[in-house]
Amino acid sequence: MAIAPELLRKLAEKRQTARLGGGAEKLAERKKKGLMSARERLAALFQPGTFMEFGQHAQHDCHHFGLQDKAMPCDGVITGVGYIDGRPVAAFAQDFTVGGGAVGRIHAQKICDLMEYARQSGIPVIGINDSGGARIQEGDDSLSGYGQVFFHNVLLSGVVPQISVIAGPCAGGAAYSPALTDFIIMTKKNSQMFICGPDVIKAATGATVTMDEIGSAAAHATVSGNIHFVAEDEAGALALSQRLLSFLPSNNVMDPPHRPVPNLTLDRDPAMNDLVPADPKAPLDVYQVINHLVDGGDFLDVQRDWARNIVVGFARIQGLVVGVVANQPMVKAGTLDIDSSDKGARFIRFCNCFNIPLVTLVDIPGFMPGLAQERGGIIRHGAKMLFAYAAATVPKITVIMRKSYGGAYLAMCSKDMGADLVYAWPCAEIAVMGAEGAVNVLFKREIAAAEDPKKKAAELAADYREKFASPYEAAGKGMITDVIEPAETRSIVALGLRNTLSKRETRPPKKHGNIPL
Amino acid sequence: MKKLRVTVEGKAYEVLVELLDDTGPAPSAAPALVAGPSSLAPVSAPSAASAAPKLAAANGAAEIPSPLTGKVVSIDVKVGQTLAEGAQVATVEAMKMNTYIYAPRAGTVAAVLVNPGDGVEEGAPLLRIA
Repeated sequence: MAIAPELLRKLAEKRQTARLGGGAEKLAERKKKGLMSARERLAALFQPGTFMEFGQHAQHDCHHFGLQDKAMPCDGVITGVGYIDGRPVAAFAQDFTVGGGAVGRIHAQKICDLMEYARQSGIPVIGINDSGGARIQEGDDSLSGYGQVFFHNVLLSGVVPQISVIAGPCAGGAAYSPALTDFIIMTKKNSQMFICGPDVIKAATGATVTMDEIGSAAAHATVSGNIHFVAEDEAGALALSQRLLSFLPSNNVMDPPHRPVPNLTLDRDPAMNDLVPADPKAPLDVYQVINHLVDGGDFLDVQRDWARNIVVGFARIQGLVVGVVANQPMVKAGTLDIDSSDKGARFIRFCNCFNIPLVTLVDIPGFMPGLAQERGGIIRHGAKMLFAYAAATVPKITVIMRKSYGGAYLAMCSKDMGADLVYAWPCAEIAVMGAEGAVNVLFKREIAAAEDPKKKAAELAADYREKFASPYEAAGKGMITDVIEPAETRSIVALGLRNTLSKRETRPPKKHGNIPL
Repeated sequence: MKKLRVTVEGKAYEVLVELLDDTGPAPSAAPALVAGPSSLAPVSAPSAASAAPKLAAANGAAEIPSPLTGKVVSIDVKVGQTLAEGAQVATVEAMKMNTYIYAPRAGTVAAVLVNPGDGVEEGAPLLRIA
């Protein structure tokens, strides 16, 4: 009374065929190139022995162009659920050895089935992209497959975190699936992402461009802002996904993985006082502030190399996960411009989706002036920051370190934007505009009539500065919770985080707001 | 799949052994979480041939542009001076803040193209390095 051995043998054979993907030869070839196979990638991602595969026996059903005689193990994509840090995570890995990892109907259906499972179970999805594109033999079935994947990306957006790893080609329409996810990690080499490649650009416009300029990890990380992280190699990209997940909840109804310390330490950090240059024109490197503010200086810098005038990323403060949004005065004077507004706003909205408290560090002279900025739509882009902050219902703690002027003061989460706690350092300057500009408007006639207009303007500016270039005017009107020493920042923010963590804010129900895009 | 004969207490059994790791060496364990930003690979912007030909040549002469519109406060190097990559070469004031300009690569200062007090547009060349 036992199951027929023949059946077990057949199952084992089928498993073996599936595991070999495009065949031993192709796998060996890949190995020679120093590339991991799709299965090796999943094995590296998950804790050993935890991967449950979905749809290993899937086969395509295409009867055209010779495909009817060709087997496509797993239909070119391996999908399933495994564990990372003891938490379940869904993942798919496209198998380039099977028909170039091209997407057919069943391939897409497997990805969608996995995403549906992840949505209902409330677990994150990691997609490892390595595909030549659409499976041309399947025609519009393939196109429809992409459409279904996109639809599910959107369905899952804001429900579970979605991470895309680009570890090979990801071209044309296929690039829109990663683009719809929360984070994109690209390997430094061997990966490209573009809509129209150099050949198409040449044919359509006559322009000669290189793949490095349009599709490389470097181009996307520094110029286009399409991706969030660059990893040295595949193993690095997978390690980075694990590290990213260590800050994220599994879904939108869970809290992020806070590791509250049993005893809050409320020590002063005198080094923070030393960081602040005496000259208000000398820039403060905000990375140094972050380094002192967060646990062990451990900060996951998101989109580090793009729009560097704003710094965003994940960290813990005395164990609690936070999203840090900080102006960087070392770059473009820390101004908000089109790109930095886009970068900041998207990050704020991600944190709000997944219950991650926001800590905002402000040192901003204003929005970036210039023809290109105005014509490029800085009004529309800058408005994203206001919209994102005002719409965010997670705990919001703002520290005004130094400059905070005009609309940019509001766009960096002032009390008016719903900040729960606003702290200012004694060197903070909070004003509607700079002193020189203000006196030119307020005292235009007096300055013109003066014997020495320049001297008069300077005197008036000094008066104005005295009054407004300090935090006390704003604090007197209740816009500031407290004025604190830089040395007290970490302990006060840690305390503030503890007591705003139970914050619950209900807004009027609606489908969604209409963020300016 | 491997066929093996196993003898247990004098009785031979033929068994099929499935080699689960046959597709290559199984990575023994998931790589440990990488602490710190070390997992982020360093990148620098690839210059678009059409937009910024100035820095395209890695070793030829290159102009260092002002990253923003402002006023030149100081030129912090002299013609002929040898520069290490990342050396501070100039200071531009804009938006009530000094912005330091650094050498994008090692070289020598071939020419200084602006003077302290000059107004510069974003992208205007400040120095040429060879």
